[in-house]
Amino acid sequence: MSETEGVKDTLLSVDKIPDVIREKALEIGFSDQDHLFSIRADLDLDGKAEAVWLVVGKTHLAAIGLAAIPVMVCAPIEIASIQKVRSSQTVGSAFLQVMVDEAYVDVVRYTNGQRELFSRACLEIKNLVAGKPVHPHALTSPSESFCPKCGLPLPGRKADCPRCKGHGGLFSRTLGLMKPYKWSIALLFLVMLIGVTLDLLPPMLTKMMVDKVFTPSEGTTILSHADSIHLLLVVLMILVGASLGRQLLNILISFITSLIGTRITKELREQLQSKLMGLSVEYYNRHSSGSLMSRVLYDVDYFQSFVAQVAQGFLVNLMLVLGIGAMLFVMNWRLALLVMLPIPFVAIGTTYFWRYIYPRYYRLSDSQSKMYQLLGGLLNGIRLVKVFGQEEREKKRFSDSARYMQDTLRSLQISQGIFNPIMGFIFGLGGLIIWFSGGQMVLEKYITLGTLMAFLGYVGMFYGPISSLTMFSNWLTGFLSAGQRVFEVLDSHSFLQRTKDPIRMPKIEGGIELRNVVFGYDPYTPVLKGVSMKIEPGQFVGIVGKSGSGKTTLVNLICRFYDAHEGQVLLDGVDVRKISEEDLHRQVGLVLQEPFLFRANIAQNIAYGRPDAGALAIMNAAKSANAHDFIARRTSSYDTMLGENGAGLSGGERQRISIARALLCNPRILILDEATSSVDTESEQEIQKALSVVCKERTTIAIAHRLSTLKNADVIFVFDDGHIAESGTHDDLMTKQGIYHKLVMIQTKLTRLET
Amino acid sequence: MTNETTATYQDELLAKTGVRRLTPDKTKIFEGTFSLLHCAVQGDNLYRGVFAVLMFPIRHPEQFVSLRYTDLEDKEQEIGVIENLHDFSEAAQKLIRASLKKHYYEQIISRVISIEDKFGLLFFKVELADGNVERNFMMRWSYNSAEEFGEKGKVLIDAHENRYIIPDVTKLPAADQREFTSFIYW
Repeated sequence: MSETEGVKDTLLSVDKIPDVIREKALEIGFSDQDHLFSIRADLDLDGKAEAVWLVVGKTHLAAIGLAAIPVMVCAPIEIASIQKVRSSQTVGSAFLQVMVDEAYVDVVRYTNGQRELFSRACLEIKNLVAGKPVHPHALTSPSESFCPKCGLPLPGRKADCPRCKGHGGLFSRTLGLMKPYKWSIALLFLVMLIGVTLDLLPPMLTKMMVDKVFTPSEGTTILSHADSIHLLLVVLMILVGASLGRQLLNILISFITSLIGTRITKELREQLQSKLMGLSVEYYNRHSSGSLMSRVLYDVDYFQSFVAQVAQGFLVNLMLVLGIGAMLFVMNWRLALLVMLPIPFVAIGTTYFWRYIYPRYYRLSDSQSKMYQLLGGLLNGIRLVKVFGQEEREKKRFSDSARYMQDTLRSLQISQGIFNPIMGFIFGLGGLIIWFSGGQMVLEKYITLGTLMAFLGYVGMFYGPISSLTMFSNWLTGFLSAGQRVFEVLDSHSFLQRTKDPIRMPKIEGGIELRNVVFGYDPYTPVLKGVSMKIEPGQFVGIVGKSGSGKTTLVNLICRFYDAHEGQVLLDGVDVRKISEEDLHRQVGLVLQEPFLFRANIAQNIAYGRPDAGALAIMNAAKSANAHDFIARRTSSYDTMLGENGAGLSGGERQRISIARALLCNPRILILDEATSSVDTESEQEIQKALSVVCKERTTIAIAHRLSTLKNADVIFVFDDGHIAESGTHDDLMTKQGIYHKLVMIQTKLTRLET
Repeated sequence: MTNETTATYQDELLAKTGVRRLTPDKTKIFEGTFSLLHCAVQGDNLYRGVFAVLMFPIRHPEQFVSLRYTDLEDKEQEIGVIENLHDFSEAAQKLIRASLKKHYYEQIISRVISIEDKFGLLFFKVELADGNVERNFMMRWSYNSAEEFGEKGKVLIDAHENRYIIPDVTKLPAADQREFTSFIYW
């Protein structure tokens, strides 16, 4: 398998260009002196898998295909004639394109596996077009998404390679989790050993009873009736004692395994939760909250069952098989060999069963989760369903989902229903063989009836553990995949780089500067394309622009939810990457368009960022955010318990609580990301009134679509396609008659239409 | 008004503000300089560097083709939508199909030979429908990496974000289907 396929093997240095390509390049006007770099793409323009070479010289670039004879994929284009360069993503592949004569021309096409390489090439060609220095060595620097050593994809950018980091096997790591409980485990082992010994006792006692009491064989001392009754009672007492002892040991085993299992799962859950809190926002973009919840809630449970399976399943069964096997061979090796006859059938049957039936368990869990999702969606969107009159359709959808679950469950139960009797028959067959051969031996006086009875007793106990042991490997597969998912989170390295000596900034003044910042959520598609801006402490700044122009991305960088790929974000002249996280997050307040409220009372929601805040401080924050009066009108005022995400409050009320929450922390920088765009005009006016007071003495950045709210801003930045297209005060921008002016005119017309 | 007439009336209303339909009588499609696709619409501009995108790539792969271009501000704009590709001349169809071929790069899987699970990744060995060639690829074992494709199909997105399609999982050979659904069971 191509496990080592990675970016590394797609990079070739200049001197490795095939001779035919070099010759062709020379033929069409390139020279060795002129040549800057060449890289190989893996598709031709029609999407056929072909090696196509992008040859970039100081004055021209071209693409040459390496077919039977070199073919021109893109004729030489003069660098001077190139207006723009881009990497254009399509479905499943991408093109490097250059704009010539106001139209984009395809130069080379490549699969997504080469995106990183060509996005770097694109950057270098841009430098070339702009007359800036070109750094061909940048093309060969290690990939951030794939392991430079083995080429395996990394769980996140710059994360550790799951293979090369060598965390040790999952199994040994799980055993490592049990280290603190080694004495409990040793006790468990001892108890199990005693338990298995007790399990082996009854058939031997049965033998004694039959041979000494019921059918004493020739040559043995015949006991008197009274002695026989006495021996019978003694044996029965021992059997009762063994059975009672076994049950007590079972209780002890359950107690110890449950103690170890529940502690391990609790600790693992805590570790996972703590890890999740530390991971960056970028990690949450890649993983759905559902999948993470499932890891914390369900996958961790496998670790508890791991302890139970290993202790009560695997080890006990192994000990039983070994113990019973030894007893059988000691008693009669010929019969013991016959006992082994059904084992291959049991092993094959169980393997077959698990191989083909086990996936149905997955499907069952999938069908359950799909049904939950459907029902969850339905209940959350019940008003929408009713308003569009789609109740019948939703009934049918749910019914289909329920049928899927029913079919999956039925198929699973039928399979089990068929498998279990077949296995029972095979086990029974094993017993019948012993009845036949053992019976013959008894009749021929080769063995005693007691030996046969004991043999049959052991046989009855023998096949069950064999079958369980065969299933254990399959159970282990499920555990391994769940364990993998849990350790994947624990090993995750998606935090923002932490500086070793963070700079403490107990009081930020509020000056913000961006220096040539480039950033994109997909590293190959920048959202901010070289943004530079400066905000003075205490300024009220407006950010305007169309959706997708980069406004919220700017906020994400200032809050340091992400780090810029290039350039710097500075607060009071200090790079945000160097500022202590605690100081940064304490002094930057964020109010979002869709405020999130926790299921708690109003006071707890306001004091979320400052849990120690007193009642008066909470009320002051609420009053400043114009929320106090509506809270006071509630029956339980600040103690009013809120439903899920603030259910029971209007949009404006929720928003004002979230503003109060931000204000209580007295942030030096307050960011309002469309904070008033989803509330009605009256609420907006009230919020604006509140903001006009609280925004004083702190730097405020307001992103807004309603431009009237930014009229008094000290400066307004107009974003367009990842750049700052315009900046200035409202009056400046109106005089400029650019994008801002156009937007204001449109809104004015709309307002007139509305009135 | 019945529900049906209301819907028709509404559709007519929406057509006035909706997508522009490109019809053969008013649209000329040809290849121009740099082999770029050109599109001239009667009463409108001549567009260069045009490309085609399917609006319903799974349900209607031969219909509803949006013709688009990138303007001088690097913004993608739509010229209009071709409702049915077959309405256009053979030559125009050929050009549009070539453009579509450039927009979609997807491998169709005809057989799943083996799947191995290692390091949280699935290592696939498959046979591609195009030329029956074998191909190895690896993908993360996660829901996001195997998405729905129509009613019964799946799109597998490998670690490099390349796309592999199984148009109908139920049409795979029984053993392949079992192997596939053991891992991709959702």
